[in-house]
Amino acid sequence: MSSSSAPASVASRMEDVIPAPVPPRAKSKKTWWSWGLLVPVLVFFILMNVVPTIWMLGLSFYNYTLTSAGDPRFIGMDNYNQLASAGPLWLSLGRTFIFMVLAVAIQTVLGAVVGYLFWKSNKVPGRRLALTLLFTPMILTPLSSGLFWRLMLDPVFGVINYFGELIGLDKIDFTTDATLAFPAVLVVDSWMWIPFMALMTLAALGSVPKAELEAAQVDNLSFWQRLIHVIIPAGKFIIILGILLRTIDVFKTMDLVYLMTNGGPGDRTELIAVALYRLAFKSFNLGYSSALAVLLLFIAIALTSIYLFVLNLRSRREAENA
Amino acid sequence: MTHSATQTPVSRRSKRWTSRRVVAAIAAVGLASTAVLAGCSSGSDGASGTDDPAASDDGGNDSENLNEGDGGDGGPSCADNPDNPLCGSSDTNMQGKSIEFGYSRIGGWPPSSAPEAMWPAFQEYAKGKYGYDVSDLAFAEAPFGELFQKIAPTLASGSNEFNLMIVDSQWLGALSEPGWIVKADDVFALNPELDIEPYSSLVTNTYQVYPDGSGQRWGFPQMPDTQGVFLRKDWLEDPANQAAFKEATGKDLPTTYEEYENIMMDDFIEIVDFFNDPAAGVYGTAMMYSKEYDFFSCAYYPFAYSTGGEIWNPETNDVYGILNSEVNAAAMEKFVGLSEYQPETFATQGIGDMIDLFTQGRAFSAFQWLAVGAFMHNPEAPEGGVASPDQYLAIPLPKFEAPDGEANIIGAMGGQPWVINSFNDDDQMRVAVDFLKWWYLPETQDVFILENGGLPWSKEGAANPAYADIPYLKPFLYMLGEGRSQDFWHLPEYSEMLAVQQEAFNGYATGTVSSAAEALDYSAAKQQEILFNAGRTTVPPPDGTAERTLQ
Repeated sequence: MSSSSAPASVASRMEDVIPAPVPPRAKSKKTWWSWGLLVPVLVFFILMNVVPTIWMLGLSFYNYTLTSAGDPRFIGMDNYNQLASAGPLWLSLGRTFIFMVLAVAIQTVLGAVVGYLFWKSNKVPGRRLALTLLFTPMILTPLSSGLFWRLMLDPVFGVINYFGELIGLDKIDFTTDATLAFPAVLVVDSWMWIPFMALMTLAALGSVPKAELEAAQVDNLSFWQRLIHVIIPAGKFIIILGILLRTIDVFKTMDLVYLMTNGGPGDRTELIAVALYRLAFKSFNLGYSSALAVLLLFIAIALTSIYLFVLNLRSRREAENA
Repeated sequence: MTHSATQTPVSRRSKRWTSRRVVAAIAAVGLASTAVLAGCSSGSDGASGTDDPAASDDGGNDSENLNEGDGGDGGPSCADNPDNPLCGSSDTNMQGKSIEFGYSRIGGWPPSSAPEAMWPAFQEYAKGKYGYDVSDLAFAEAPFGELFQKIAPTLASGSNEFNLMIVDSQWLGALSEPGWIVKADDVFALNPELDIEPYSSLVTNTYQVYPDGSGQRWGFPQMPDTQGVFLRKDWLEDPANQAAFKEATGKDLPTTYEEYENIMMDDFIEIVDFFNDPAAGVYGTAMMYSKEYDFFSCAYYPFAYSTGGEIWNPETNDVYGILNSEVNAAAMEKFVGLSEYQPETFATQGIGDMIDLFTQGRAFSAFQWLAVGAFMHNPEAPEGGVASPDQYLAIPLPKFEAPDGEANIIGAMGGQPWVINSFNDDDQMRVAVDFLKWWYLPETQDVFILENGGLPWSKEGAANPAYADIPYLKPFLYMLGEGRSQDFWHLPEYSEMLAVQQEAFNGYATGTVSSAAEALDYSAAKQQEILFNAGRTTVPPPDGTAERTLQ
């Protein structure tokens, strides 16, 4: 049946339901508008991300130290070969992985606990203010956090040792003690980022369908049963996203460590980003540090890929089932 | 549902092809950038120097005019060619001009800020003598450890943002080899009045010459510095302390400069021990063990140098087998052992901590750079602190027993030179030279030294009676005497070498490195590797150095 032969009221209803075809000129205008919006972002991305990355890749095949008289000299894979046997850098990388695993684990678990407590306390007065205060560490710059934590942990005039002494404890030199420096940095990083994981937990809990929660309540499921069968399946992808973001971010930790311990005592808190900083901006060994940066880039890409793979598992399963 | 779930096999294949094309495109651009870099390396631009600065007549200077009047090579003098920028301004060539000018300085280091405070006087001088206006002095500053990072990239890009620079003496190689700074010899040849006789060869070797021993000069002394110790004179002169010390040791407590000038380290430690009272929050001494920049290294070097230790061979550029000696290990054990007379935070102590501990009355003595003498008292110090210079006594470093049995002291050199940016345009170059001529005028030096915490480095300045009342001048000049101090590497690789040993040495102080011998052996091997890789030495590092980590 053609629309022309249909009664007028039906035709008018059809027009409401089926959008009128866009005239070619309007479509072209829309396309140009879309491109107009996209191009500045693309240009910025290419200039600020793609070109420097490719330049870094090229530089990693050169022997080039900014402060030596020689010009950049092509040396093929030599920088990478040198990296392969650079013991201190691998030690820093290993230390970074340990830091990453511990930091993400602590922040995820404690963030989930804090997030759950906030979720359950939605009728408590002052909840909004408490939430705002909770997120304060996250929005501070790592530079200022590092500095004031270093001052607070100071054994001579630090407030933490002051209170420790009041209850009869000995003074502790957190940032220069060979055993305590690494945990001290870990604690401060966790202090900064537990709120982020709490935020992700709140978002995850908010995504659980109310009907499923009510059904679980009707079925008289215990807390753990509700957690395992209702809450986690619905919210896990948001949590995984949070873990992914934190993993990548912890892998890049530099400013906090630099301010708190300068990588010390000795090399005990020298994470790989601090080592890279020293190579590139203290030694100006640009070729070698570029090779290390490329290696770290690939590690970051690998980590991201793993998490994205996990994140897309559900979609793929659904697609396969369909 | 995600986007991928809706894709058909065809669209997935198409996406794979797109990805491959993207990867191929990135690879192509990567190769192209490699080719561009290769292109860069095949030619030499204005900022590129030569491998051997000795081979460079003009130090990589990019201003063509500069070479015309190289009086040192028998070329025309400034009288013949007054427009040569390295001559400075003539009576006519800068008249009516207006020049922007800037310098770089070390943040938190007051002698480095003095030029800014004194700048209005130079503006007047330039206007009156040469007829040009020069802007208020622009500056950029960063702490010792970071300033080089700030200026090196600007110089590498050929920038004249900093027309004059106050730099650390260790940076002379890194600045001169790429051709970023003007050779001071070229300026001296045209302006003999700037070639001032130094107090000792230490001034020339520390602030001017690169490569070591070559005699080629690149820097102009700005702020000289040597090491010493600040003591609480008021505590020493307290009769109760004198009596208690006599009772405890059977000796008289030395109180005068003359008694301390030749004191041995072990005798000095006895006094430090006497005043050490951690329970009361007062420590016997304060020294630098920080990992920051060269703090640990410079504080440790006198212990090594004075007992016969060496840190490298400047002729062959070898470190391994020299730095990692038993003498140096014993010296480091002694140096770190003195932490028992210091606060718990000793491992992070730097210059500022020395000032704070001493001025607040928390340390009887402080091993310190004498150039910060003006800040070793604080009129607002708390009760028991150092509110006036009358309360302290500044002395040279205590002496050690040398291998020949003689009392010996060799301190580390501090201080900074001026250097001139090669990329200055002709007018800026003239202003830079004019400024140096003004800076070294006796009346300008008087203002710098008497009002801005400076110190004299020339023979004439050292003999100036107007400076005699500076309470730390005497030990400063003592330590600036021939053979009493020495500077360390000026190589472009200094930063990498320094970072290695600071980490290892500080690691020993904090207990993360098992022994002083290990810290020294590790540093020596890594430094040998750095110098070998840079082509400075033909002796390779020991096997396994690359894989080696701090133990």
